[in-house]
Amino acid sequence: MNAGEFLPAACAALAATSQAVWLVPLLPLLAAGAIGCRMLLRPQGDAAEPATASLASGSALAALVALIVFDLAAIGGCAPQHVLAGDWLRIGPVPVRLSFLLDAYSLPAATLVTLISTLTLRFSATYLHREAGFHRFHCGLALFLAGMLLIALAGNAVLTFVGWEIAGFSSWLLIGYAWQRPVATGNALLVFLTNRVGDAGFLLAIGLAVWSVGTLEWAWLDGDGTMATVTARLLAVGFVVAALVKSAQVPFTPWIARALEGPTPSSAVFYGSLMVHAGVFLLCRMQELLVQVPDLLALIAIAGLLSALYGTLCALVQSDVKSALVFSTVAQVGLMFLLCGLGQFALAAGWSAAHAGWRAYQFLLAPAFMHLVPHPAPPVPGWLAGRMWLYTATLQRFWIEALAHSLLTRPTLALGRDVRAFDERFIDPLVGAPRVDDHSPSGAADDLIRGHGLAGSALFAFANRLQRWESRLLMSGEDSALVRQLQRIVHYADTVETLLEQPRYLMLMVMATFVVIL
Amino acid sequence: MLKTLLVLPLLGAALLWLLPSRSADVQRHLASLAAAGTMFCSWWLAASFDASSPDVQFFETRPWNPRLGSSLALGLDGISLAMVVLATILCFVAIVSSTTVRDTTRNGARLYFSLILVLETALLVVFAARDWSLFYVCWELTLIPLFFLIDRLGGANRHRAALNFVLYTLGGSVFMLIALLLLYDAAPEHSFAMVDMAAGSAGLPVRTQVLVFLGLLIGFGVKMPIVPLHGWLPLAHVEAPSPISILLSGILLKMGAYGLIRAVWTLPAAALALQDWLAALALLSLVYGAVLAWRQTDLKAMIAYSSISHMGVVLLGIAALNPAGLNGAATQMVAHGFAAGLLFLLVGLLYERTHSRNLGDYGALRRSAPRFAVWIVFALLASVGLPGSAGFIAELHVLIGAYARWGGWLVLLSLAVLISAAYALRAIRCLSTGPERAFGTAAPGVAAFADLSRLEVAAAALLAGGSVLIGVYPPPLLRLLGASVAKLARQFAG
Repeated sequence: MNAGEFLPAACAALAATSQAVWLVPLLPLLAAGAIGCRMLLRPQGDAAEPATASLASGSALAALVALIVFDLAAIGGCAPQHVLAGDWLRIGPVPVRLSFLLDAYSLPAATLVTLISTLTLRFSATYLHREAGFHRFHCGLALFLAGMLLIALAGNAVLTFVGWEIAGFSSWLLIGYAWQRPVATGNALLVFLTNRVGDAGFLLAIGLAVWSVGTLEWAWLDGDGTMATVTARLLAVGFVVAALVKSAQVPFTPWIARALEGPTPSSAVFYGSLMVHAGVFLLCRMQELLVQVPDLLALIAIAGLLSALYGTLCALVQSDVKSALVFSTVAQVGLMFLLCGLGQFALAAGWSAAHAGWRAYQFLLAPAFMHLVPHPAPPVPGWLAGRMWLYTATLQRFWIEALAHSLLTRPTLALGRDVRAFDERFIDPLVGAPRVDDHSPSGAADDLIRGHGLAGSALFAFANRLQRWESRLLMSGEDSALVRQLQRIVHYADTVETLLEQPRYLMLMVMATFVVIL
Repeated sequence: MLKTLLVLPLLGAALLWLLPSRSADVQRHLASLAAAGTMFCSWWLAASFDASSPDVQFFETRPWNPRLGSSLALGLDGISLAMVVLATILCFVAIVSSTTVRDTTRNGARLYFSLILVLETALLVVFAARDWSLFYVCWELTLIPLFFLIDRLGGANRHRAALNFVLYTLGGSVFMLIALLLLYDAAPEHSFAMVDMAAGSAGLPVRTQVLVFLGLLIGFGVKMPIVPLHGWLPLAHVEAPSPISILLSGILLKMGAYGLIRAVWTLPAAALALQDWLAALALLSLVYGAVLAWRQTDLKAMIAYSSISHMGVVLLGIAALNPAGLNGAATQMVAHGFAAGLLFLLVGLLYERTHSRNLGDYGALRRSAPRFAVWIVFALLASVGLPGSAGFIAELHVLIGAYARWGGWLVLLSLAVLISAAYALRAIRCLSTGPERAFGTAAPGVAAFADLSRLEVAAAALLAGGSVLIGVYPPPLLRLLGASVAKLARQFAG
């Protein structure tokens, strides 16, 4: 067989294998299920750990190998762009297919996601050694990988939404990793709820898409050019809200700082490198739709710019490594949103890939920063030590830093502090974030169900009013409102009855009847 | 085969009274055997059902009272078959999980199990009836066993709860009876058969049709429940013994929704005229139920109110009057049957062990009873409708079906879903996580309690498996419903 025959044959084989793309998200999902089943058997001790770890990273590795094969096929130009693995269900006129996209956005994203997750899984096998939640963590991470792969590869909005939810759910699982601590579980709750706001936007957009475009496939979601701008804007707004929430952009940023309660490897993949970029990916995915609504693009750009500023300012005043990293992540992602808003989708996607890799490394390194950074300073070379003025200037770095400090950094720091204070005094109470110093006794019934934040307390007051109305609906004993009303009616009826029994009223009735009849 | 299915539980009830042994365990086993037989029977029916045809299948009829025109007509279409299968599964789970029923009074256990079996037969006849008089009689017949089950074995306020339940439902069915009699009068052949009455209603002016439909709506709305008519529900669910709560929320509420679907089929013009009002009621129920569920500290009350919210989804789907919405409504009926059944099962078992339903008394179940924790987390998440559970498929259908007509109003649906996520996750947080709390205030000495037993895990797995199966692979259920729903929706297509 010579090269001329071999290449087309190989190409056909690769194209055939890429029909099995549905296996890629399924593998980590199965691994998560298997680890979950193992957890039901309550594995104990060191001996149980390698099996769990290799289940998780093995599935990730298999997914990675498969994805590399697909990549090769795509580079060779012989992979189909759109793979249909079957029908899932049919909603009214619109079928929801198990369709996958293998294009220039999805394949690199999926490969990168799998690569970083594989490395993180390998890392956490040792990092979490002898931790009580070793198996739970791996289960959550495998679930997350399945969700992210589904987001990256899904060919239609419903499948993406399923992945979107799985990722959100696994993030909830892992933030509440230390479930014994109320702050951790409270933060998990807050993060999940904030994410549900975005999910609501996503779902409404799906509903609109069915009736206005008649399809849920990403490839045709931008319509045939005849869609009214109002419809396109409404449709895009739902997805954009979902993207803003998932990527923690202004005004949804506060959740991401709360999400760092989980173990460091999970923070690395969720908020450092992968899940936080899902919003950017969604924007890239629907760029054809977005360019039809320029005003929304401008809004995305503004949100991105604001987030970049916000993230930068907040990052400056953080005192711990993880928070500083996560705020700078927000800033970077904000810049990507800005790029998307300016129409540079490919650039944003490339940037997000580079940023994801670098940030994952930084986050995984975070626990060791304290050991790595304070290295002994190298001795000053003699030629410099001899010239006192130059040395002083160098020591002070030519006062540029001090200058910058007083002119830029100090105001910036102050501003950052103010923003942080604003965050703590106003934003946190408004969204009802739990605080470290807020440990109210949970004995009283009202405390247990009381809502926090503006929305929470409004809901609480409203619910109280409904509850009072509710208790009037019950029939009980002699004293309930409903029974009293009934008794009053009975009383009136009795009075009318006794009046009617008297002959004169009876005659009057008869006469009145005659009048009516005649 | 359909007749066998309906008679099997009655046969079981009769056998219970002939059984010489007075041991509650033996009686439970016999009753479970009867319920299991019924369950397999319904599966067999489902297997031999031809899903591609929208016609009523296994149809058989014989005159009951020829002078009145009533007949004993039985038959199944896709929607009623789904309900029958759900009912048999839930009855089986309810009987199997009644492990705490003891012979406290003479023949107590015997009475309990035979009442449940009688209730099962009445339920199944309601779903299988093709004649409104038979439907009505069995609809009322379900009240009798339920009244005694709640009144004899319920919690502290059981008498009030049972009375409220029966009075509300009876009050509703008076309107239903009047409406049915009006229809009967209009039917050309003066017959109660569903087909004849639907044919007769077509000749009525729309105003009369609307009035008749309102009567039926009040009757079914009490059972379903739709918000202003739901007063009986929270108390009955809270006070009923846990296995009965499973039946109440799992299948009794579905009777109302099922009746409403039949009413829509009988009076299409009225349904079309009242479409917007139905949707308004549905959205009200959705938000109202969710907000009040969020307000409760009592676990069972929380689930009861969440049932109101979830049945709002069903009503919204019915109001949409298109295939997507109706499919969603029927799927949500099944999904909620599984999810609420599972929740009541678990909470009931928990209550039997700790004698506390207060959320604040619990904590750190993950440590003290890990199997409980896992299953409760699963059940609460399934009731929120995360992807992978049947609720997601149902909500997606309803959302898309209703979007065609009401668009932006569905923000209310999203709001209710958001609130339901809030209370479900808060319940998870209170129950499974956090520092351990003592049960000192509730019942001393039960701080440490037994985890779920194998049998209980199996019962929970049956319900959870149903929910996940539909969530991951919905085509079989949708195919089962599809033809009947399409036939129903065709009336509104033009």
